[in-house]
Amino acid sequence: MSANRHPIEQEELMAYLDGELPADQATEALSHLELCAECQTLVADFRGVSQELMGWEVESPEVGISSEINAALGERLKKREAAKVSWPRLGNRVTSRWVWVGVLAIVCVVVGLTLLLTSRNRNESRSTTYPSMASIEQYLMPDRNAEIALARSAAPQSISSDAEIMVLGWRGYETAIEGKNGFVCMVERSWTSPFNSAQFWNPKVRVPICLNPAGARSILPLTIKRTEMVLAGLSKAQMIDSIKAGFDNKELPAPEPGAMCYMMSRAGYLSDALGHHVPHLMFYFPLTDKTSWGADLPDSPVTLNPQFQGGPEPITEFVIPVSKWSDGTVAPAM
Amino acid sequence: MTSDEALMLEFQGGSRTAFEELFARYRKPLYGFFGRRLNNPERAEDLAQETFLAVIRAASRYEPRASVRTYLYGIALKLLAAERRKFLTSSTSGQSAPEPKTDGTPERMLWVRQALEKLDAPEREILMLREYEQLSYSDIAELLRIPVNTVRSRLFRSRLALKSYLESQAKSNPALRPNAGQLHTGRRGMQ
Repeated sequence: MSANRHPIEQEELMAYLDGELPADQATEALSHLELCAECQTLVADFRGVSQELMGWEVESPEVGISSEINAALGERLKKREAAKVSWPRLGNRVTSRWVWVGVLAIVCVVVGLTLLLTSRNRNESRSTTYPSMASIEQYLMPDRNAEIALARSAAPQSISSDAEIMVLGWRGYETAIEGKNGFVCMVERSWTSPFNSAQFWNPKVRVPICLNPAGARSILPLTIKRTEMVLAGLSKAQMIDSIKAGFDNKELPAPEPGAMCYMMSRAGYLSDALGHHVPHLMFYFPLTDKTSWGADLPDSPVTLNPQFQGGPEPITEFVIPVSKWSDGTVAPAM
Repeated sequence: MTSDEALMLEFQGGSRTAFEELFARYRKPLYGFFGRRLNNPERAEDLAQETFLAVIRAASRYEPRASVRTYLYGIALKLLAAERRKFLTSSTSGQSAPEPKTDGTPERMLWVRQALEKLDAPEREILMLREYEQLSYSDIAELLRIPVNTVRSRLFRSRLALKSYLESQAKSNPALRPNAGQLHTGRRGMQ
């Protein structure tokens, strides 16, 4: 494979398959792969190796917590309990309780200040904040084909190949390719995050999504509207008011029954914290109690997505992770 | 679903339920980790349980800098190294490591195991951590204390080598291979 013909190295191609390339390089890899038969063969080979390896399954016996672990666990929890109750005992020995209260208050203030300063320093060094909108160019993808490929990567090819593809232009989303199956695939930007999210203006965010026909009719209009308002330079407060009004006067639709989407791209960049995240499906409903889906309960694979929580859209959104990326490769467990 | 890290912090705070949930999530993967590397199901089970014992003993020192997943496999790697040292010592004093049990093992598994055994040990470990434990490049780099680029290049080499071994095995004994021909399908299309 010569470097002249291929903009990405074989090793990078492998890293792409492993979900280890940054979003911009992953997009480049994806769009090259669509056109390069030689690279597709290499990718098929790598997948073949992974599939062969998966053939070595280790059957685990059903074993519970051993008696040794139980004993160690009991001992540890007992020690913790003892540590908790030892403070009041000490306190009883002191004649004036107020002395202890005073000491405790001083300790709390000192510890609190230390934690505050430490956490602030950590946050500053670890993450970048995005207090306001960057220039529009930073949200656009200069390579239209790369954006189309990234949008398609949200769902398995059997779905996305016949989907309508929308790309972001200077005036908003526009149809790049007409679809046949009612699905719409696109790459969402940071402003589909909750309004109070620190990532709301992060120009690096690229969220490939394929909405099913019900989602395209009832959820897509929200993304379109948010995007139009962002590009028109509205403030967050103005956008929130406009969305509320949109639902009040029925300009914006409620989620249709069955509205859902695929978010199974390994090349997306959902936020600085999540990166590619995990492949998942999302389901939309008018405001619904999360317990009706068993969301966020122990061992439940269903979680409540915070995207619309506390926002102006009266929508509840559930997320279910899936085990494979849209290209069929196995994703890391959550 | 509560994250592993939140469960670990709850356990630090004294929650038995949080520990039980972590146990339920990771016992089988840890058993698989030891099972593939030791060929000894009894020791695999013992060491999976020992990993959790180590978690209990060191719970107060856990800091959520790394994911719980990486933290657990870090402990598991240390236990594995100790186990291998023990075998080395015992084999020099006359005892030998148990032979892999092959009775009743499906041929496909044997075939994969044999191909893996042909890889250099460091490359095999990286490949297994990636494929079976699903760790990221940076997690593997941290655990093995090597640069991320080294992880990537060794992983690349090991995958190509494995592909070549599997292909040569398929050629020499096509009947052995249930999915013969899978590696060179010449598939078109990205997804």
